[in-house]
Amino acid sequence: MIMPPEAQPNVNLPNENDALMGQIYGRCAENAPNFGVTVDCFKTSLQRTLRKYLTASAAADADALEIKQFIEQIQADDLFLALACASGSERAWWEFDQQHRSYLERVARHLAKTELDAQEVIDTVYVELYGTRVVDGERVSKFATYSGRGSLRGWLRTVIWHSVVDLHRAGHDDVSLDEITENVGEGTAHAGFAIPAPGGENDMIGHITRERYRRATLSAIESAFSSLEDHEKLLLLFYHVENMKLREIAKMVENDASALRAWFQRRSRTHDSNQPGRIHESTVMRWLEKCYARILELFRSELQTKYGLTNDEIEICMELATQDLAGNSIFRNLTAT
Amino acid sequence: MKNKDQTGSQQVKIKDLIDRYLKVHPPGGIPEQARGFHLDDDSLAAFAEGNLSERETRPIVSHLVDCSFCRHITAELVRLDHAFSENDAINPLIENREPSKVSEVLSGLLSRIFGTSDNAVFAHDEKNEDKDTEEVKDKE
Repeated sequence: MIMPPEAQPNVNLPNENDALMGQIYGRCAENAPNFGVTVDCFKTSLQRTLRKYLTASAAADADALEIKQFIEQIQADDLFLALACASGSERAWWEFDQQHRSYLERVARHLAKTELDAQEVIDTVYVELYGTRVVDGERVSKFATYSGRGSLRGWLRTVIWHSVVDLHRAGHDDVSLDEITENVGEGTAHAGFAIPAPGGENDMIGHITRERYRRATLSAIESAFSSLEDHEKLLLLFYHVENMKLREIAKMVENDASALRAWFQRRSRTHDSNQPGRIHESTVMRWLEKCYARILELFRSELQTKYGLTNDEIEICMELATQDLAGNSIFRNLTAT
Repeated sequence: MKNKDQTGSQQVKIKDLIDRYLKVHPPGGIPEQARGFHLDDDSLAAFAEGNLSERETRPIVSHLVDCSFCRHITAELVRLDHAFSENDAINPLIENREPSKVSEVLSGLLSRIFGTSDNAVFAHDEKNEDKDTEEVKDKE
């Protein structure tokens, strides 16, 4: 079930923000006078977006300035077009089709396995966007869920993605949603853990020692990772699990207003990486290296304090882990030490 | 110097270790049914574009750490955006196709999907707008 994060029921808007909404509406209506969107419909949509994003899970109430900035950042023309399409304006649909149809087709072809699937996805998305379900006498258009917080094209990409997943899922009833998503798009290749099979060696003491080091290593790496902040964890997960390239991560944070970027830059002591503008791959690499350094520090600290291991033993743990990863036997190495 | 080399070597090892650990034990591990909800299209798209403030981003990042489904979609959306922006830079999109009348497109789609011509769905009165549309087409 796809649901938005928890939203609080009300947000109090000062009058000046109501006026700001009116101004933005005025600009949009001037650009597209025949879309038929009313000022009430536009303001209601903005208020719903405010409730959803600005007051959801917030530690403190948003102040007037924050609300003002939020309203100013709304992709107003995209929202205006979406609202008009949701209400069934033929002129708006014509505009939408002209502006976005070929983009939708390209995305669908990129994601779907066959041309036939791509066409089916496009058809389904159009029907969903228009809306065939009627609730309380009103047609429910998918466009009504677009908030204007991101671009309309970004939102459309996501709608297509879900449609591709649904199409794939229709043919694989017994497969979970998680598994399906891993098979759509470039996907991820989850490798198995290279724990060496018991080699039939009889060195019981060596075996117990190795297992102790192995357990300590696993526990320490788990603990180190969970001590990171969420944005650091996410960066590592994007890079190592989702196999995102540095330039793709850089693309994700290229927006000067990106919160992820702000969090990493706040930690950075170098002047150049705090500059606005494009983020280079080398900057993302530096962020990753800082995460590795923190994990290493936490990992060592955990092994020392919780397991009472010496520096030499920590070296053995790391050596063991490295050899485990390479799929080689760790036994020889331990015997040698 | 020796200490620096050692730290560098340890960092390489920890990188390999974390790589393996995350691939085998990605965090969360909460079953799909128990997780309760996934992020909606609107939140995912806005996050992938980096449009959200810190206040808005915090719960989303927290969710993405635990939810492989939403995380995977986010990664794919960023990939798509990146791939398409590179493509567009090389081959700018040429939009020279005349869009068809949307009611006709949708009626056709519904006929194919449901096996009937569902014109009644598009029975809203938009004659004036239709007229405008035709005029625009004529001008073009």
